[in-house]
Amino acid sequence: MNPASVLVIGGGLAGYNTARELRARGYAGALSIVDPAPLPYDRPPLSKEYLLGRRGVADIELSPAAWFSEQGITLVTGSVVALDAATGTVVLENGQTLNADAVVLATGGSARRLPIPGARDPALFELRTMADADRLRVALAPGIRLAIIGAGLIGAEVASAALELGATVVLIDPIDPPLVPALGPELATRLHLMHADRGIEVLTGLPVEITAEGPVRTVHLESGRSIEADAVLVGVGIVPNTALAETAGLETDNGIIIDPHGRTSAPRVFAVGDVARIRAADGHLERRAEHWENARNAGAVTAAALLGQNPASPGAPWFWSDRHGVHVEGVGDMAAPGTSVVRSNPDGSQVVFRLAADGTMAGAASIDGGLAIRAARRIIDRRIVVAADLLADPAVDLRKLAR
Amino acid sequence: MSDPINVGSVDAIDEGEAMVVPGDENGTGEDIAIFHAEDGNFYAINDECTHETASLAEGWVEGTEVECPVHSARFCLKTGAALCLPATVAARSHKVEVKDGEILLFPHAGA
Ligand SMILES: Cc1cc2nc3c(=O)[nH]c(=O)nc-3n(C[C@H](O)[C@H](O)[C@H](O)COP(=O)(O)OP(=O)(O)OC[C@H]3O[C@@H](n4cnc5c(N)ncnc54)[C@H](O)[C@@H]3O)c2cc1C
Ligand code: FES
Repeated sequence: MNPASVLVIGGGLAGYNTARELRARGYAGALSIVDPAPLPYDRPPLSKEYLLGRRGVADIELSPAAWFSEQGITLVTGSVVALDAATGTVVLENGQTLNADAVVLATGGSARRLPIPGARDPALFELRTMADADRLRVALAPGIRLAIIGAGLIGAEVASAALELGATVVLIDPIDPPLVPALGPELATRLHLMHADRGIEVLTGLPVEITAEGPVRTVHLESGRSIEADAVLVGVGIVPNTALAETAGLETDNGIIIDPHGRTSAPRVFAVGDVARIRAADGHLERRAEHWENARNAGAVTAAALLGQNPASPGAPWFWSDRHGVHVEGVGDMAAPGTSVVRSNPDGSQVVFRLAADGTMAGAASIDGGLAIRAARRIIDRRIVVAADLLADPAVDLRKLAR
Repeated sequence: MSDPINVGSVDAIDEGEAMVVPGDENGTGEDIAIFHAEDGNFYAINDECTHETASLAEGWVEGTEVECPVHSARFCLKTGAALCLPATVAARSHKVEVKDGEILLFPHAGA
């Protein structure tokens, strides 16, 4: 479409990388990013190195301020409250209006609230932004009792970091083990057991109410059990920030509906990252991807589409997570029908491959897998059929199998 | 430029693999990884990923690029350039020559 001006709403990874890729692809038109934060930053460290105080603000900024001026990318600090999809005009909460030929919605998601009494208590913690991380960090003094509701990716990472910071941690999830769809049962089980091994109290149960008495919060479980805590973190997933798109009349369905190149139902408007949901060429709605790599790739795909170029296809989706000193990765689809093959290496690292009935690989997950996941990604993308016994044998070089 | 370091025979590094010359041996104080790329040539860049702390020698070599084994940033082996996020800073690159079947590294210190 080659727009004369592009306005990106949301300066998370997806919005940032859309702008970055537009410039890298030679786009010379006006380019702005609107976000409540003054400078785009990376979110994964918020539950890891940043929370632990090992990395500071400057370390997690996606680029220094000077880079944005060099690149001619205007950063507008504020929040968009209205969008006119037909004209490309947006209104900020301070009344300022901005207009562009093309608008990219990169508004991400907000922490999901539990649908139970007490869940709106402002003293509860969630973790989406740098401000959330700063607030949590201050609360995590040694000896405090932290209850975490949700043992998925963020809950598990914060549990690990909080333990390191000296907190007493209780980790609550209705499912045991969590993350089976993302990692398969073998690794999900092994990872979940690590929490208790390190001294975290792990409870399987459904929270039904959170009550407050002075500074203390009590999480009540369906079983009748209750857990007292000085701080409660709720990490039960996100809801996509679709409000702007909805009021602008764009098609949404638990996400802003886009085609595989980021186009929404309005010709001027694109959407990227956690907030977007792809309708595939055959018409089916894919699940929203809520991982870092998707946000990066979506930025590149959408920048190409905005410039009328042919974007490269990103390949199998990938994510990572770090907790208790191990590096976890998943690529492709570990919940696909088929069989699993486990490779256990002498150093304790482990990889599980998910094979479809036709012998192609659907997914792979690992603990400290390193190269194995890089090999698996290529085996998946190239639709290479590899014998299960070779995959299981730690002595076989996976690099050779992927070529 | 300082004297080259003879890091061994070309047979010491298989194609697609790498070897690390530790910082105290190469004189720069920073570990240097020497890669045998898929174009058959040898290239050297600083071993530590510029994103966090992974060893690029443990990464995935494809063509004349290496992919970090931790968060998958890619670097150009010829120049050290960061080719995709999460890395935005280039890895320092060093000159390599092959002479009489031996790999010679010319460590390049400084910013
Ligand atoms: C604590 C944490 C740890 C994570 N760890 C990992 C990990 O280890 N591995 C992994 O693969 N993924 C991880 N993720 C997920 C990854 O960070 C996200 O997938 C990625 O940030 C999505 O990028 P995004 O740009 O789509 O959305 P976001 O990063 O959510 O950015 C959206 C931005 O839009 C802004 N915005 C929203 N509404 C408006 C508005 N109306 N006007 C202006 N601006 C607006 C928001 O303030 C925000 O800055 C983690 C996420 C979090 C929160
Ligand atoms: S440490 Fe290399 S990409 Fe993160």
